Amino acid sequence: MKRILCALLSLCLLTGCAYSVGGGTDASEADPEAGTSSTEYLEAMDTYMTLTAYGSHREEALEAACAEIRRLEALLSTGSDSSEVYALNQSGSGVLSDDTAALLEYALDLYDSTGGAFDITVYPLMELWGFTTQDYQVPAADALQSTLALVGADRLTYDSDTQTLTLGEGQAIDFGGIAKGYTSQQVMELFLEAGVTSAMVSLGGNIHCLGTKPDGSLWRIGIQDPAGAEGEIAAIVSVTDQAVITSGGYQRYFEDEDTGETYHHIIDPATGYPAKSGLSSVSIVTGDGTLGDGLSTALYIMGLEEATAYWRAHSTLFQAILIDDDGAIYVTEGIADAVTADAGFTVLTAE
Amino acid sequence: MGEGQGNRNRKNDLILLAAVVLAGLALTAVYFASRTEAADPAALTVVVRQDGEVTAAYPLSQDGSYLIESEEGTNRLVIEDGAACIEDADCPDRLCVKQGKIRYAGDSLICLPHSLVVEITGSDELALDGVTK
Repeated sequence: MKRILCALLSLCLLTGCAYSVGGGTDASEADPEAGTSSTEYLEAMDTYMTLTAYGSHREEALEAACAEIRRLEALLSTGSDSSEVYALNQSGSGVLSDDTAALLEYALDLYDSTGGAFDITVYPLMELWGFTTQDYQVPAADALQSTLALVGADRLTYDSDTQTLTLGEGQAIDFGGIAKGYTSQQVMELFLEAGVTSAMVSLGGNIHCLGTKPDGSLWRIGIQDPAGAEGEIAAIVSVTDQAVITSGGYQRYFEDEDTGETYHHIIDPATGYPAKSGLSSVSIVTGDGTLGDGLSTALYIMGLEEATAYWRAHSTLFQAILIDDDGAIYVTEGIADAVTADAGFTVLTAE
Repeated sequence: MGEGQGNRNRKNDLILLAAVVLAGLALTAVYFASRTEAADPAALTVVVRQDGEVTAAYPLSQDGSYLIESEEGTNRLVIEDGAACIEDADCPDRLCVKQGKIRYAGDSLICLPHSLVVEITGSDELALDGVTK
């Protein structure tokens, strides 16, 4: 009997630990400013960003991070005539810098693994719909078909030895689908190099966390309710050292004044029209920001069934929270314990 | 050891066991209650900071409309139904207006041109550290 009691007691103590959500130990390092934070706010990459870092190295870490964001923005902007991507789109060919080469290789891998759902050559379609200028229009069917014919990352020619990229006739590229994820990944590395072990950034709603909070507890990240008012959340996920990146049709859209129909900005490269997959938002939880950014878009386009199959084939790389048009929430089993949702959710299992 | 002693021991064991089980159930109840309970606006405060200094604070539970003025310009802060937003502003980009509504501790609205930060704070342990959108 005593032994049973001991077992029960220790079981309770163990689960008691799990109840304290954080579950981690206090990061009681020598740093007297471990719990002190600084926050930077900046506008970059067509969005607003907040960067918060803790500890005595926070100021120089934030300075380095902001400089890195500006540097990458100057490299990747499609609209700035001094950017590398702009020059590429103008001339149709060029030798890539190391960052752009890394992004391109990432983009090509994602294009292959997602069966074309993630495609950096979708840019001419984004222009046609007016999403690049906010001068929105529903394209005529023939214009859409001729632009759609230009799209396809398989028509890019890339020599990785010389880092030379050549676009197909009429093609244009945009790293917008992975740029913020790549940037947050770089920022996390800069934070670590500067000696910061606890930080969180939001690059226009793309969240990336470093370590735990200074008290050892997990970061609690809300997931926007796609059907709710802005700022209302559908679920909460608790994470450490992860990016949480969401794509949804509610983020950017316009309404056709004649028909009253709304068109959102996530264009399906297969059809040229905004994706209608039955999903209203996809959030990816992963240690790799670039992957998370690209997959949130790709899985949104795929829809629940195909996205689930994709996750099953790549479940060591990421987890996901998917919300369908009816508001039903699906969570992959790897993070099921870390997610709470008032409305409840269905766990997607590996089998 | 007599028979009675053994019985008493077993009785104490049972009481202890019951106590442990009850404690476990209570913990579980608290845990699940905290998981599903929505953020309570009454426990939250909307803090206005200009140039890093706190210049005003309002309860999130109390509806109101406030003009925030500085040398750089003006922003209209509106608190309604447990959410705060910048309804209007004379800054050039109006990004603060576009940021929409916030309603959870830790969430903030920023107007860079006016050096203005509106943040929801609270001792609420259910606070969020960020919202992915």
